[in-house]
Amino acid sequence: MDGESEVEVTEWKVKHEMVQPLSGQAIYVVLLRELKRYWRAKARVISSVAQSIFFLVIFGLGLGDFMGGIGGTRYLSYIAPGVIGMGLLFGSVFSGVSIIFDRQFGFMKEMLVAPVSRTSIIVGKILGGATTATIQGIILMTIAGVMGAFTISFTFLGGAFTAVGVMLLITAGFVGLGVAIGSTLNDFHAFQLLSTFVMWPMFMLSGVFFPIDGQPLPLQVAMSCDPMFYGVELLRWCLLGSGSELLGSFGWLISLAVVAGFDVVMVGVGTYLFSRTQI
Amino acid sequence: MNKVNTIEVKELTKIFDKTVKAVNGISFNVKEGEILGFLGPNGAGKTTTLNMLSTLLRPTSGTATVNGHDILTEPDAVRRSIGYVFQDTTLDIELTGRENLDFHGRLYGLDRNARQQRIRELLELVQLTDRADNLVKTYSGGMKRRLEIARGLLHHPKVLFLDEPTLGLDPQTRRSIWEHILRLNQEKNVTIILTTHYTEEADYLCKRILIIDFGKVVVLDTADNLKARLEGDVVSLLFKNPAAIETFRPLLESKNWIHQINVVAFGNNYAAMSRMMQNMPTMSGNMDIGRTMPEMDSRNIGDHKKIPKTSQQKSEQPAADESLQFGGETCAKCLNLLVDSGGHRIPEIVKLADEAGVILESVELHKPTLDDVFLSVTGRNIREEKGSILDMVRRHRIMRQARGRRVRG
Repeated sequence: MDGESEVEVTEWKVKHEMVQPLSGQAIYVVLLRELKRYWRAKARVISSVAQSIFFLVIFGLGLGDFMGGIGGTRYLSYIAPGVIGMGLLFGSVFSGVSIIFDRQFGFMKEMLVAPVSRTSIIVGKILGGATTATIQGIILMTIAGVMGAFTISFTFLGGAFTAVGVMLLITAGFVGLGVAIGSTLNDFHAFQLLSTFVMWPMFMLSGVFFPIDGQPLPLQVAMSCDPMFYGVELLRWCLLGSGSELLGSFGWLISLAVVAGFDVVMVGVGTYLFSRTQI
Repeated sequence: MNKVNTIEVKELTKIFDKTVKAVNGISFNVKEGEILGFLGPNGAGKTTTLNMLSTLLRPTSGTATVNGHDILTEPDAVRRSIGYVFQDTTLDIELTGRENLDFHGRLYGLDRNARQQRIRELLELVQLTDRADNLVKTYSGGMKRRLEIARGLLHHPKVLFLDEPTLGLDPQTRRSIWEHILRLNQEKNVTIILTTHYTEEADYLCKRILIIDFGKVVVLDTADNLKARLEGDVVSLLFKNPAAIETFRPLLESKNWIHQINVVAFGNNYAAMSRMMQNMPTMSGNMDIGRTMPEMDSRNIGDHKKIPKTSQQKSEQPAADESLQFGGETCAKCLNLLVDSGGHRIPEIVKLADEAGVILESVELHKPTLDDVFLSVTGRNIREEKGSILDMVRRHRIMRQARGRRVRG
């Protein structure tokens, strides 16, 4: 800090930064902007949906039907929730990280000089990112359904409905993670690193392709450390039913708790780091 | 008229990293409806001051009130009272002009009707109505600037901060932005602080000018008063051989009718520059393409005749170290003399030069401009990048510090 005593700075921050009230309209307008930008970036949406379709076709239909299913379930059905999870993961982290662009192109200043708290801005950003990523998830869920990954029934529709809620829950934490990363990193070059060392491992370890049970211990440990693993478990539980042979030994309640805990931690960390960013 | 002070600044100071004094105890008041110009070179502390006044940056010491609200204790009220048009564009280029305004209106809590009406009104004011629904990324630089000014006014601020409003714009666009600024100042009675390093801009727009350098107020007065401080006329001498500056200077220093002698880059005058640029098409007929910057000066004051250069003369171009940098171009040095009555003294100066065996290439006479004022009060030319190495390092450091600063949120 600029040489002021810590006490003075803390006092000032408590007075002017920490206790600023949330403004509903500010949250709403930041969210609205995210939606508008998402709606206009059709090329990006199409390319990421296409990527997921490749996974479903190559691994689900090609490899899966050749190798056989898992525990009596068709392989396409087994990986579909995980591939939806991939869309959620990438969509939400990148929408959080996009605050780097806001800063780079100056728009951040417009938000920061307004009489609203930074917390309102970041809550809007997280809700917006979670919403757009969830829209992406719904698109993928529909496509997987059309490809025959799910047995469409009354129960399934109920599960799909629950899945949308679960998607929002999963993505909120990951947008928070993106915001935290975007507040810490200052340039675009880190994107590649982020993708290679954060996103892909999280996706690969999330249990998309194989169940956790029966894996070597180190892999089991790594998988159970991946927050996305619990997200995929929840999606599987919603979309494929509670068939026990498909789910890990944790059960949906633990998975839900982990995802919710991850949300709280990441939204908190993201908000904190954002409140400390420089322009 | 006894107008109230909309802005009162007391001993405002910002020190970065304990040592770098970006703003060093500045105090001033701005009256309601006034346009005050911060004039100073890059790194003088202009933007840092605005950032403190807009509560984006916390002062190290000192305080200020904006529209009656203290910047330290009532940041939200201050923010509602101001519109801030930043130096770099802060628009969302993926949204339309109207959406950018709408975003701002919502952020400042305007309800739907108020927002729509205000947006219509402001688009009209900055003449962007027909382009309002195009994406901002299709706008030109001048349109973006106008949109930002409109946005800055959307929430009915009492005060508008304009940070280098015409930086990087062409002369016509600059002119039109100026007209917009003057109009909204008159029609809406908005108090304006603008920063600039164009003296002509300050001269044209501002009722009063605050010259700021190294974070300190050098002088604060009306443009006319500032110019009146320099009694007499400015005579510029360009020598055929730049080395003659040093031999000729001592001869002038002994004359009591010369009040000031400065070495400046010839033609380094914004007024002349912009006039030159505007006259470009009509001038092209008699303009030699091969001419260099110093000769392109088009001030037609006095009976100054331009001497076209022969190829032989070209080889006598001043060497790089004999010249000054100006906007990336190298200019010849010339001597600026402040004399009591220029017209009468020119023959005398020419005679002196003849006697000393110094060949003058041109002699010019003009009334003091803000450039001359700036030179006189700071000892430096406003756009002169050279200066002493120490100054440059200092400036660079301040700029770096000021940029990477966390702001108050």
